[in-house]
Order: sequence, then C-alpha cells, then structure tokens
Amino acid sequence: MARIIVVTSGKGGVGKTTSSAAIGLGLALKGHKVVLIDFDIGLRNLDLIMGCERRVVYDFVNVINGEATLNQALIKDKRVSSLSILPASQTRDKDALNKENVGKVLEELGKSYDFIVCDSPAGIEAGAMMALYYADEAIVTTNPEVSSVRDSDRILGMLASRSRRAELGLEPIKEHLLLTRYSPKRVAEGEMLSVEDVKDILSIPLLGVIPESQAVLKASNAGEPVILDTMSDAGKAYQDVIERLLGETVEFRFLQVEKKGILSRLFGG
Amino acid sequence: MADASIEFKGSSFTLSVLHLRTSKLADIRADLARKVAQAPDFFYLVPLVVSIEQLECSIDYQAIKTLIEEFNFTFVGFTGSVAKEQRKLIREQGFSFVNTMKTNPSKVNSSEKTAIVEEPVATEPKTKAIPPQRHLYTDKVHRGQIRSGQQVYAKDQNLVVIGSVSAGAEVIADGNIHVYGSLRGRAIAGATGHHKAQIYCQHLEAELVSINGNYWLSESMEQHWGAPVYIHLTDSELTSSKLI
Repeated sequence: MARIIVVTSGKGGVGKTTSSAAIGLGLALKGHKVVLIDFDIGLRNLDLIMGCERRVVYDFVNVINGEATLNQALIKDKRVSSLSILPASQTRDKDALNKENVGKVLEELGKSYDFIVCDSPAGIEAGAMMALYYADEAIVTTNPEVSSVRDSDRILGMLASRSRRAELGLEPIKEHLLLTRYSPKRVAEGEMLSVEDVKDILSIPLLGVIPESQAVLKASNAGEPVILDTMSDAGKAYQDVIERLLGETVEFRFLQVEKKGILSRLFGG
Repeated sequence: MADASIEFKGSSFTLSVLHLRTSKLADIRADLARKVAQAPDFFYLVPLVVSIEQLECSIDYQAIKTLIEEFNFTFVGFTGSVAKEQRKLIREQGFSFVNTMKTNPSKVNSSEKTAIVEEPVATEPKTKAIPPQRHLYTDKVHRGQIRSGQQVYAKDQNLVVIGSVSAGAEVIADGNIHVYGSLRGRAIAGATGHHKAQIYCQHLEAELVSINGNYWLSESMEQHWGAPVYIHLTDSELTSSKLI
C-alpha cells in the first residue's frame, strides 16, 4: 500500500510546493517509487520547481476527464528514475476535480508507487479539501508567525473532520509539523515564534525545521529542488525530514543562532 | 388563538427498552459496552426507554441517564410497573416516565447472564411534562484539541475539554466550562442564562470569556494572563481567581 502524504498549510506562500518537491525527490533518492501530484489546479507551480515545465503534455485534469491515460500524463524525473510528476492544469479551475475520480487515480497510482505526495493548494476551499481527502499522513507546513500558525490550526481541524479517514471513522490522519523559513536569529530577537511556541499551539509532532535560506529561492528558479543542494542548510534540513519520515530518529539542527567565527566577527561577516 | 403553526397528536412508536436487572452501575456499564461494541452504528442515537421494573432497590436515575448517553443513546425516560411514589420521585427529578400499554416481563429471557436486556415494545406516547427548572447539568467531554474554526456546544450540559482550545475556536456551554489545557479561543458559559456558571482553565490566553452575557476581551484578563484560573460572576461582574 502506498503512503498518501498531503503537504498542506491553509496559508499560501509558506513553502508547500518547495517542500513537496524536496520531499518527493528526497524519498525517491532513497530508492522509493514516488509520484508527486500537483493539486493546485489553475496555478501550475510544481512542474516549475521540479524543472519539468517544458515536458508537460497532459495533466491531472485530462486524466480525471478520461482524455489521457495516467502513463501519458506522468512525467518521469530526469534526475531520479523512480520519481514521477503528475502536473496540474493551468487552464482549468479547482472544480474540475471530483472525489470519485481523484480516488480512482490515487488507487491506480497506489498499485505501482510507494509514496504519493500531494501538493495542496492554499486555502480551505474545495481544492485543498480534495488534496487532503484521501491522505494517510499530512505534513502541515507552517511559518513561525501567528497567522500561518492560525491557518495551520484550521487545517488540522479539517484533517480531523473532513478527510476520508474521518468520515469512515478510521484511524486518524498522521499529522506532522514542518516549520519552514525559520530564523533562529529573529527568534532570539523576539520577532518570530520559536519552535516551542508553535509546537505548544498546534500540539502535533515536529517533522522538521527548515531554516530561512537563500538557497531555496535559487533552487526554485533553477528548477532544482533544494534538497539537491547538499551544501545548504535548507537542503540538509530536508534530508533530515526524509530520514524522520522513514522512521529514523534524527536530532534537530539549525535551531540556534550560529556562532560566528573570529574571522567573520572581525570582518563583520 | 388558533395554533396554526403546531399541532399535538398522539402516535405509536416502537422504542427500544433497556431492562435493568441490577442497580450496580459498573455491571450495567460493562454489559452495555459489550452490547454496543457488537454494533456501534446500530445503536448510535437510538431512542431508549429504561425499564426499572425488575429492580429490587432504588437506583441513581441521573447516573443511569448519563451512562446511557455516554454510549450515544438518546435517553427518552423510564418505564415499568412501579409504585406511584416511585413514579412521582422520577418526575420530580426531571425525568419523564413512559407508561406501557401492557408489560410482559415473562418475555424477557432471564437465563441470559447479563445485567441488561433489550426488547422493543410499543409505547403509548404522552405529552412530556415540562421539567422543572433545574441546574443539574451533566458533562459533555471532548477529548483532544479544539482547533481554529471549530465550535463545540454543550447544550444543557457542562463542557469538559481534555486538551486546549485554539485561538479562533469557540466553546459554549449552558453550564460550566472546564479546559484542561490552554484556553486561547472564546469560551461562553451559562449561554442560556445561568449566572452561577464558571469557566476553569489551566492556562488563560482567551480571546473572549463570557458568563451569562457578561464578557471580557483579552485586555481585561491581564491580571491572570497565562495563569491557571477560574472565572465567575460576582454581582454581575466577571471576576477571575487563581486556581492554585
């Protein structure tokens, strides 16, 4: 059985697509068969981050409507052969999806993949509900600021009440907290919520803390998920996330302000 | 004046009757749990009349009602051919007593070694007497966090939250509210008018607290912000006091 993981947040711009891409690629690099699905119909982004936007012929909506087969629409990643991407449609809107057909597509994919990573659109409307409906696990992406935490809390309520697992009374969706754009310096200065604050408010297990990093923007523009940038803090933090998703216990890094060396102190680093 | 909008009429319904054979709550609970576990969906919100006919000693009626509702039955009332005094007592405690057309205890299979027996009987409906005004609330227990955008209302009950109430969430009770976690959202106690209602929480960071229509916004809670407190009314003024 494939693990269906939804990457969600409520709020927009917190790093859902960046995280989906990094996690999808990271799991594939570990040898798992992974498919990444872009549920953000109308705002096709995942293919850009993955660097496969020029290879999109058919999309998710075509498959839902029976205009293309899954194999025609799936794009094989050029870097890792065990990773495929199912892109969103740019021309349609979120109402193009319906529960029944999405369920069929996921079931079909579940036969040949180990992980199905669903990149959710922002908001709490139909599109976001569709992305989380069939999930077994949810990665709730949150920035350390109050409005993002509030929206994540709202989404956690939805996960517990509006998902298939909730409707059928099955074991609830496994929730993970992924804190992104974390800046220990700003936490120390009291401008940002700390990991502890967010954990206290949301009270769900912490999956990872991704530090604010220049590498993320660079990676997005280049179409190379940041996890491939093994020298960057963000890349390393996503690698830790993968280990934890696969059941390893890894200590959290990048939570403290980095101590400056004597040279950078002298030259104002 | 003609009551065009409503009409009272009698009808017959088949209701499930729970025959109690013991007044030991623990035994009843155990057997009920076993029974319900066999078909939880079947029993969910089923209206239930409790027969006390086979009981030899008196029983805590409120406890029985609470127990029944704990298993998600809809409690209707008590039944059984019992002494007039006992019926009166039941009524006085605010429960309805349902008269059966004929009782047939011999039908009950007493060889079964359970404390309870279920058997459908036809009952004659009766207009429910309006229960006397009382403030004996039972508890509605919510386990887990109440998240932003969620609302929990304990109608005619106290509300117990074993978890936190998030900012943007709302908890309302006609009785008291107990939050065994942080209260960050809104809490409205004594919602239908009950000036003795109180709000208890382990950690006060609420957006709003209200008792019987008197409310505080967070700025009025500065004195005990972040502390374990209870909030109550003294002469129509909200007051907060530390729990410990």
